[in-house]
Amino acid sequence: MIKYFLTIFIFIISSKTFAQLDSIQQLKLVNLNSVKLYQHSKGYKVISLNDSIILKNTESFTSLLRFNSPIYIKEYGSGGTSSASFRGTSASNTAVVWNGININSINNGQIGFNALSVNLIDNINVRSGGGSIEFGSGAIGGTVHLNDQLHFGNYLKNQLVSTVGSFDTYNNLYKFSFGSEKIAAKFGVSYNKSDNDYKWLGTDNLKNENGAYDNLSFSLGFAYKLNNFSKLSIFSTKYKGNREFSGTLPNPSAAKEKYKDLNFRNLLEYSYHKNEFTHAVKFAYLTQEYRYFADKKYDDYSFGKSKRYLLKYDFNYKISPNSIVETFSELESVFGKTDQIEEKNRKQFSQSLIYTQQIENIASINAKIRKDYNSDYKIPFVYALGAELKPLRNTFIRLNGSKNYRVPTYNDLYWPALGNLDLIPESSLQGEFGLGYKTDEFKLDLGVYYINSKDKIVWTPGVDPEKPNDWTPINVAEAVNKGIEFTAAVNKNINKHLFNFTLNYSYTIAKDKSTNNYLTYVPKHLTNGNFSYTYKRVSAFYQHLFNGKVYTTTDNLNNYTVPYYNVGNIGVDYKLIQKENKDLSFGVKVNNVFNKEYQVLPSRPMPNRNFNININYKF
Amino acid sequence: MKISKFLLSLFILSTIFVSCDDDDEPQLPKGDYENGLIISGEGTFSGISGSTYYVSNDYATTESLIYKKVNNEDLGIFVQSIAFDDSRAFIVVDNANTIAVVDRYTFEKVGAITTGLKKPRYMTIVGDKGYVTNWAEGEYGADVDDDYIAVVDLNTLEVTNTISVSIGVERIIATNGKLFVSHKGGNGTNNIVTVINIATEATTEITVNDLPDDLLIDNSGNLVVLCEGKAAWTGNETPASIVKINTSTNAISSELEFEAGVHPSALASSSSNLYYNIGNKVYEVSQSATNLPTSEFLDSSVTTFYGMAVNNGELFVLDAKDYASESDIKVFDMATKSNTQTVKGPINASKIYFN
Repeated sequence: MIKYFLTIFIFIISSKTFAQLDSIQQLKLVNLNSVKLYQHSKGYKVISLNDSIILKNTESFTSLLRFNSPIYIKEYGSGGTSSASFRGTSASNTAVVWNGININSINNGQIGFNALSVNLIDNINVRSGGGSIEFGSGAIGGTVHLNDQLHFGNYLKNQLVSTVGSFDTYNNLYKFSFGSEKIAAKFGVSYNKSDNDYKWLGTDNLKNENGAYDNLSFSLGFAYKLNNFSKLSIFSTKYKGNREFSGTLPNPSAAKEKYKDLNFRNLLEYSYHKNEFTHAVKFAYLTQEYRYFADKKYDDYSFGKSKRYLLKYDFNYKISPNSIVETFSELESVFGKTDQIEEKNRKQFSQSLIYTQQIENIASINAKIRKDYNSDYKIPFVYALGAELKPLRNTFIRLNGSKNYRVPTYNDLYWPALGNLDLIPESSLQGEFGLGYKTDEFKLDLGVYYINSKDKIVWTPGVDPEKPNDWTPINVAEAVNKGIEFTAAVNKNINKHLFNFTLNYSYTIAKDKSTNNYLTYVPKHLTNGNFSYTYKRVSAFYQHLFNGKVYTTTDNLNNYTVPYYNVGNIGVDYKLIQKENKDLSFGVKVNNVFNKEYQVLPSRPMPNRNFNININYKF
Repeated sequence: MKISKFLLSLFILSTIFVSCDDDDEPQLPKGDYENGLIISGEGTFSGISGSTYYVSNDYATTESLIYKKVNNEDLGIFVQSIAFDDSRAFIVVDNANTIAVVDRYTFEKVGAITTGLKKPRYMTIVGDKGYVTNWAEGEYGADVDDDYIAVVDLNTLEVTNTISVSIGVERIIATNGKLFVSHKGGNGTNNIVTVINIATEATTEITVNDLPDDLLIDNSGNLVVLCEGKAAWTGNETPASIVKINTSTNAISSELEFEAGVHPSALASSSSNLYYNIGNKVYEVSQSATNLPTSEFLDSSVTTFYGMAVNNGELFVLDAKDYASESDIKVFDMATKSNTQTVKGPINASKIYFN
């Protein structure tokens, strides 16, 4: 036995490759969040959406994810409130992570996917499966990562993308980036607006009234190499959005709600990397505010506001070229209030540890643990283990298991007279097994998972029998989610004809354990596919979404389902200029090309066929 | 062809002969939804439309979503209440600013009132006019004092006139040439009953306890008002009461005040008694009583008490359960107090009507 371990140990020591790659990344790249994500995702499925994919769905973050990820997104009419369900879990069980920081709202634990512009984000990753060790509360179904990317080196780039479309829709962005040996900088601004007054198909000339939106966002990144070992960087982004909330059948003209979002996120980082050690000290300041106007004609609004301060220290020690131990310490102070809840402060300290082991050409393993200390409630100790095995050339086996949690929100805890201070965090145990095949041209991944969630926080009527119509949050529900996820990607170049195809399919069974009924708003079948073809200066693409029917009632009545739908978008791009440092393309896109009538949520028709033209100029 | 025509005329002749035999006109069925209960459900915020269910008088048949089934469209969110004239039902949908008008027995749509309404709540009918309470503008925490009664010409289905009233209108009932309107408070709270002289449209106000909601006329012709009182979570709890108002003099003739901390939410009457609930329990009190009972009439044991009605020796309790599944309509025999039937109703069933 000892001999066996010794052999493995020697084997580990003798491997080099892993170390070299890491050093190069450390030197050139400023923001390592995306690299780290892959490093910490052994045994998990991660898909990556680069800027060319992001720019195909500039209209909203919602539609970007809907057509390119395995996430089902509930949307209260196009552009309205939008929340995710990843693997059939609830809206607060998908964490959105900006440059490594969980940005789910402290008021309701969710992210509004239409209250976030991602056009300026350089890279988006979607990871299926739990991630509370790295990303904290809400990382149960999966995580969505928004990463800024910046690197040193000599370059100067500009990019302008402008889209004009139906319903007076304008999506514009400008990005500038600059790099030298010591400095890397970028700046971006994006402005989107739309009347969004699309026709409601299947009705007698009804329109999506009161659906207009506009949003403006800025992003800034700057890094300075202090010396060969250390660098300083800052990332900042600001978002201001106005949205109206459209109405429902049969009378959209009754709608009058309005919503404003203001987000401001800043991250300052100092990192030092020498030999086997890396230290990073990070300070983040984030604010989030929403204002809800029940009637846009009046100035009265209800609001939620939060301020968060985070101090992080990441330490990385390379024990050997094939094994790394990392620790992550985080101190957080959150101030939150709403028009109903006076300002409350919540403090948290968390400590996590990740151990990564490579066994050359055979396996990569992550073992992770985390413990949180929170001023308001106890958070369970969480752990995870992930492994990727490579038994044969081009094939891999994925395995992961983890415990994750979701903390009660400010609303759950402090809502006047109804909030419940005795709540404990929801927790879930999950496991996943996957098989894959990967070459330069093909990638296939088939996985099965199982999630068991308990102490789920549900606002329940009649908890107090004397007040049957009062709703109170309690830790009550248990749910089991299981399913199959399949991803395929093909990249083929036949005599300069480039073909690219990606497919996501998910089969999801999510049930309430007490009733054995299906959870509402979870499609059993969900598929999206993207096909693109490029030849010389011309490229064309088609996006398709099949969304299976969903139950809307907890007793799973067939009279109340939202039927399945198919919707497709098509686009063509032509490159007018294609030079080394100048690139101008012109494109046309048709959304809902078959003019299908469909609804994501009942009574709220989605857009009919619509068009846009766009230019993309890189110089 | 000819034969069938002949047969048809024979058939018609025979019916005439048959009907001539009898003194009474034959009672041809007026529609599928006669002789039963019409239950309205509000729908949900997430977009499930409000709806109507039919349950036959013998409880043997339940038909769901009857408006949608007949008219192939949804009513909208939230179906608040229904008013009836001899032949039609007026379905009030508050967030849709709409009243759908259907034949009350076939549920075929005969029209809709879509202009002149803003958050309509309840309607009462006097002759060929309908009177509809409207919350108008404003929302929770920011209500606007512009509530009104819309006067609808029932022949043209148009709002012809409005009567401006105080904030927070809710139920409306007509008696004695007057309209009585309870001001529960809409998005806030209020404590008045407005009296409107139908002929002159002049208004007067009667102050009652907080949150007056249900209205009914008792067997001696008095108006009975259920005032719910402000709940504890408002931070300013006030007592509930059952108030009786003389409809000729508009004076409060009696008042039964509840003990502190108790808030009934529904009121119904039989020929001689009143029924109200506290939580899941239903209480019975004589219309002439001067004290409230100390023990309950029956315990409905529902999850979410969302509505109540009394008809023909039976008491109906609407259970909205988790607000996200079909409601249960629990029927109690009032003589034995036993739960004789439980049938399904719409999502968030709040009202029950006897057709």
